[in-house]
Amino acid sequence: MTLMETTMVETESTTSLKVLVIEDDNDMAGYIEKVLTDAGHKIERASDGASGLAKARAGDFDVLVVDRMLPEKDGLTLLQEFRAAGGTTPALFLSALDDVQNKVQGLRAGAEDYLGKPFAQAELAARVEALGRRQSGAEPPVTVLKAGDLEMNLLTRKVTRGGKKIDLQPREFRLLEYLMRHAGQVVTRTMLLEKVWDYNFDPQTNVIDVHISRLRAKIDKEFGEPLLQTVRGAGYRLQGQG
Amino acid sequence: MKTPLQLPAWLAPIVPDKAQLLQPLRILGRGIRAGWRGIGQGLSRLPFMAQLKKAMPAFARTTTFKLTILYSAMIAAFFGALLIYLYYSTVYYIRQESENRITVEFEQLANAYYTGGMERLSQSVFERMTLSGSQFFYYLEDSSGRKIAGHFPRLPADPPTAGMKTVYFDFELPQADGTNTLRPAAGRIVRLRDNGGALMVAFDTAQQTVIVGRIRNAVYVAMPIALILSLAGGLLISRGAAKRADELAKTTEAVMGGELGRRMPVRGTGDEFDRLAQRLNAMLDQIQKLVESSRHTGNAIAHDLRSPLTRLRNRLELALSKPLSEDAANETLGTTLSEVDRVLDTFNAILRLARLDAGSEGTLARMDLSGLAEELAELFDPACEEANLSFKSQVAKNLVILGDKDLIGQALANLLDNAVKYTPSGGGISFTASRTPEGMIDLTVIDSGPGIPAEERGNVTQRFHRLDSARTLPGSGLGLALVESVAELHRGDLILDAGDGPPEKPGLKATLRLPRA
Repeated sequence: MTLMETTMVETESTTSLKVLVIEDDNDMAGYIEKVLTDAGHKIERASDGASGLAKARAGDFDVLVVDRMLPEKDGLTLLQEFRAAGGTTPALFLSALDDVQNKVQGLRAGAEDYLGKPFAQAELAARVEALGRRQSGAEPPVTVLKAGDLEMNLLTRKVTRGGKKIDLQPREFRLLEYLMRHAGQVVTRTMLLEKVWDYNFDPQTNVIDVHISRLRAKIDKEFGEPLLQTVRGAGYRLQGQG
Repeated sequence: MKTPLQLPAWLAPIVPDKAQLLQPLRILGRGIRAGWRGIGQGLSRLPFMAQLKKAMPAFARTTTFKLTILYSAMIAAFFGALLIYLYYSTVYYIRQESENRITVEFEQLANAYYTGGMERLSQSVFERMTLSGSQFFYYLEDSSGRKIAGHFPRLPADPPTAGMKTVYFDFELPQADGTNTLRPAAGRIVRLRDNGGALMVAFDTAQQTVIVGRIRNAVYVAMPIALILSLAGGLLISRGAAKRADELAKTTEAVMGGELGRRMPVRGTGDEFDRLAQRLNAMLDQIQKLVESSRHTGNAIAHDLRSPLTRLRNRLELALSKPLSEDAANETLGTTLSEVDRVLDTFNAILRLARLDAGSEGTLARMDLSGLAEELAELFDPACEEANLSFKSQVAKNLVILGDKDLIGQALANLLDNAVKYTPSGGGISFTASRTPEGMIDLTVIDSGPGIPAEERGNVTQRFHRLDSARTLPGSGLGLALVESVAELHRGDLILDAGDGPPEKPGLKATLRLPRA
């Protein structure tokens, strides 16, 4: 997650989310609050596990951001108890320990996503927004995804833009599907690696960029307005809400 | 003859039966078994054993010495049993022999009696008594109990009313100096048929006593010698063992004291100490390798991180020294951020390697290697095209290993990334996954880049080692180190070789060789 330039995450099209940040380190909590507030979200903070759990139960939050190491009650226990009590708010688990076992533990305890410290602000914002989207997207399962004049039929696996058929490789299809499900949001390269390729390692070479540019050649090149944008220093965004 | 005509007590069971002969052996057997258990448990429980243990010299505390003691006890027991058996069987044999001879003697005298009656018998007895060299004593009396002939003044016991009777008695033998010596004798008294008289034939058992005494002496002499020999042998052996254990202990202490290069002495005898020493040495080799690599890593981290941190510091200092335009400030912060990110990436790689070394990273499970290899080929194909490199991949079907998908993926990605990075535009990369005849699986990446000189191939897997030619390219110098650690975790190998190119630009052939599941 190399951040080449300073970033300003554009926020115009994302809806504002109510986020509970449970983090005992004040600097870190302040940083998270700043990033998410800048991205247009409302933040509440809790600095220990017990009060965090109480707030998470009482408040109506869209996303929880939970640190692993917390006083009184660690993040894993907190999440387990929250889920056991029927809490459904999606949670992003933060930890300085970013190896795979820790990640698996976090996901097992009931977190929807996991982010190792240190992280770039774009990564945090993108993941929180992806989780918030998931929550609000509790609608009946869709069979057709739309972004602008781009359409993807999940049953026939047909992709068209402006009525014109686009042929995609299976991997390109999955890549585009993920981007369309998160249309309007920034998705980072790491998120794509994790969710589209199911990789928990860093392939180093700019492999994702190349795949994106191939996809872009197929869905944007012959059409007027480009849909797939590169967000500098953060990742990519597919324009247009579904 | 007023002396008591009784047999010495220890001669009493003259003809012991088999059960009696075996009895001592059985008792011994039981004793040894109980002792075996008892020595270990009982002794250690005794309150003074702890102090005794401390006071004992080193060799006395060795297992060998304890075994020696046990063996000595067993040898003593064996000797004892053997001698007791020998003793009894000799006595038995002698007794039997004498009995036989008495029987023969009686047969001849009976002949005389039956052919010539009492007269002929007494004559025969007289003859035998005067016969020099006869070992037998005789005594003949008539039916009224009057002595007719004989060595003794009377019978040592009353004759039986009929048949025969065995008697044991002591008699006095006059010596040349006028004194008498008491000697044991055994004999048989027979009541004469038809006549009512009685005849005794007896013999001196002193000879037996002497033989028995000799055997006893042999026991007394042989036992201590056997014991001393076995103990001395045991001591020698256990001193040897203690000495070798001491050598091992001293070497261990030296190693603990910081002399990591010290090794256990191996004598080449192939005994258990040699085997132990060899294993310990192998362990020390590994420890030394680890220590050196972590020392090297420590230095390398310091060295490798100092340059970017120094650059960072200088840039920030410069930025602080004068007012900056917004553009200039943004640029400074941007480069600073990317520099910090690179430092963090390096740290992550170091942590990952450390976890790999500590064995806390990676869970091995059956995984479809073919699938992963195909995916990675698909992932890297466009990137190669972008870099104007030809990319060929050939992945065999159904390759299954016991592995950690993420670690194998990272290792392969590192190899592919290296190939993409170091192959100049227009070159080519080939990626194959195949079974070897030896039952392994080879994942091979061949590029057409400059390759790695043969003398450098051993070094590039060391942490932070970078070829001079690669210093200008991005990279932490940890990529191949990680591949090697992953290979080790999977009991595989990383093999670096020259590629297929011409000698001046051979390319690199990197093979990750993994065992099949």
